[in-house]
Amino acid sequence: MGEVNVKTLKQKDRTFWEQTYVTEFIKGLGVTMKHFFTNLSPNKEDRDTRTVEYPDEPRDYPDRYRGRHRLMVRDDGQVRCVACMCCSTICPADCIHIEAAEHDDPSIEKYPETFVIDQLRCIACGMCVEACPCDAIRMDSGVHVSAFEDREESFHDRETLMDLGGQSMAEQGGDHIPSPN
Amino acid sequence: MPKVTINNEEIEVDDGTTVMEAAAQLGYDIPHFCYHPALSIPANCRMCLVEVEDNPDLQPSCHMPVNDGMEVHTESERVVKARKSVLEFILVNHPVDCPICDQAGECKLQDYYMAYDAQESRLRTEKVDGVKVYPLGPEVVYDGERCILCTRCVRFCEEITETDELTTAQRGDHTEIRTFPGQELDNNYSMCTVDICPVGALTARDFRFKCRVWLMNTTDSVCTGCSQGCNIHLDHFRNEVQRYRPRYNPDVNDYWMCDPGRYTYKEVHQDRLEDPMVGDNVVNWHAATQAYVSTMDEALDTFEPSERAMVLSPQVSCEGLHQARRFADEVLETDRLYMGGKPGGESDDLLMNADKNPNRRGIEYVFGGLEAVDSFESLVDAMEAGEIRVLHMMNKHIPTTDDALRARFVDAVADLDLFVLQAMHRGEMVFPPDHRGDFPAADLDDPTLVELADIALPSSSHAEQDGTFVNEDGIAQPFSQSFKPLYNSQPDWQIFGRLGDEMGHSLSYRRLADLREEMFGDAEDDAKPKTLDDKQSKSRAPADAATQPTPAE
Ligand code: SF4
Ligand code: SF4
Ligand code: SF4
Ligand code: SF4
Ligand code: FES
Repeated sequence: MGEVNVKTLKQKDRTFWEQTYVTEFIKGLGVTMKHFFTNLSPNKEDRDTRTVEYPDEPRDYPDRYRGRHRLMVRDDGQVRCVACMCCSTICPADCIHIEAAEHDDPSIEKYPETFVIDQLRCIACGMCVEACPCDAIRMDSGVHVSAFEDREESFHDRETLMDLGGQSMAEQGGDHIPSPN
Repeated sequence: MPKVTINNEEIEVDDGTTVMEAAAQLGYDIPHFCYHPALSIPANCRMCLVEVEDNPDLQPSCHMPVNDGMEVHTESERVVKARKSVLEFILVNHPVDCPICDQAGECKLQDYYMAYDAQESRLRTEKVDGVKVYPLGPEVVYDGERCILCTRCVRFCEEITETDELTTAQRGDHTEIRTFPGQELDNNYSMCTVDICPVGALTARDFRFKCRVWLMNTTDSVCTGCSQGCNIHLDHFRNEVQRYRPRYNPDVNDYWMCDPGRYTYKEVHQDRLEDPMVGDNVVNWHAATQAYVSTMDEALDTFEPSERAMVLSPQVSCEGLHQARRFADEVLETDRLYMGGKPGGESDDLLMNADKNPNRRGIEYVFGGLEAVDSFESLVDAMEAGEIRVLHMMNKHIPTTDDALRARFVDAVADLDLFVLQAMHRGEMVFPPDHRGDFPAADLDDPTLVELADIALPSSSHAEQDGTFVNEDGIAQPFSQSFKPLYNSQPDWQIFGRLGDEMGHSLSYRRLADLREEMFGDAEDDAKPKTLDDKQSKSRAPADAATQPTPAE
């Protein structure tokens, strides 16, 4: 074991005025007052408080906030999901219920006849989004799951989920551009 | 006998053994698509290439017989590289639509891709489109894009069913599997092609999109469709049977099973008697047992033993029948026993038997022969002559297709003083089911047996209990419980135990193993099936199963 270097620090003594506390007290009050009057300013931009007047004022969510699920749609407005069950398999809360069926359109083949997410059981982990091979389910709607008055309301069915849906950027069937290597 | 060295391990094998089989004996599973142990060997997929020393070319191991002194490498760098190239070739026009492919999860192409290829596609051209969702027959749907043209399905129809419906059509990358003009893939074993298809090119109408394979649990079971007793994998998810798949047993069914048998899984869920009933009232087991005890006690005082009878069901496991025998002996004290079960049906020379009951030989075994069990016709005669006043019947099946006899039986049942029905089904749908396993609804003007019964007790199916069936050839085959009894049902052996105990006879067993020990007596291991005739153990999975290359389902 090597030598241990010990450095001794000497505490600075208080000056006379500091010992009386009077000047320090006035300085402190000054800081408090500065914040007090800044935050009373009618112009919100000038204030430096972080308070959001929720729910009167909407909150800004970060880009990767996991909000209400949405089901993406195809170019023709049909549901993009192909009922592969990857999401319901991975879901740790076991809250996605899908019933697959054969589609009348032969180019689609398989689609979810029923797609229900039980939002009260969902733990918003986002695994379903990660698992989906078709970019069919997303949680980037920016809408958070609000309170329910009725248990039934928490079952979001296919149509509810598609209401928030949009078109995916991914090309259907994948792109054919080979990777650089 | 030739000696061959595989991956520096030496093994001596029989003449004519292929390299793949020899490797399997050493525990090396060589990847393969077109090879199937029960079919001829076309060596067309080239997945099984191996390196043979002193041979400049890689050789298909499924086809090449071993020579003395041969040195084979199955995992060398060259071989692994060849596998990667073969896979890349197969995938050139493969759609890789695994998300909507029922095979995903049990697909050899997926497995081998992960093991040997695992690279992004280097393809710069559009894939060739093939047919999708093309029905080859009533049960089987074909996908031309996923097909790897291994011709297993074609060879199955040529060599196993000898019905020759399928062939390859067109040339080159437009080749697809087709039926001959004017023909359909419509034989009794058509769904076996779905099992042996190594990819998702053939899918079964019934199972299509129903459940992902990775979600299902599998239990070793026995098909209840006929007396052949084909060994099956019973695949189930959330207490529901999803499908049957054949389980290899060279003594019984090889790798196959028939289509009507596959559909019998629907009997587990359709038309079930859910709760015990006394008259028209749904009651719990306690009340039903009490009602049984009071009415039966009275009936036993009033009627002679010769006026009491029992109908045995060859649909019930040996364990249930053993208890039925004790119950008839000790509680009903009668020797009037009659044969119930389903009426006979279609048969062929491959597997399907005319006797649609899985356990008739089980009755023979448990009752020491069929002499003690009278025919159903004699039961109806005796009932009409007023000789029988009390009847305890197992299952609602009436073993006749003769409507007159059926009607006579139903009329005679209405005249009984006490009729107890212990059954799985309500009988609101009739047997036989159509080829899809759906039951046509019965003519509801006729009262069902459940409605006529003074007491009806719900029994469980083979999927809900452990048990044993003895097949046509006298091979006793155990089956295992997949899930707990559905609804309020109980296994037959437990119902008899419960009723017997309440009637003051000690009939119940705490464990099924105790019952089996008593029934099979000298058998050393109750899990091992035995043949009836020589009482010799015959193992369920044959010893050579491990030494055969897997069939790659
Ligand atoms: S976010 Fe998580 S818990 Fe919610 S549905 Fe998706 S996988 Fe399930
Ligand atoms: S993972 Fe995607 S495509 Fe698959 S079922 Fe879920 S949402 Fe549909
Ligand atoms: S056959 Fe196999 S690889 Fe091809 S789509 Fe189906 S699961 Fe995927
Ligand atoms: S359909 Fe299946 S079994 Fe038949 S040739 Fe194609 S891949 Fe082989
Ligand atoms: S070439 Fe040997 S398995 Fe296909």
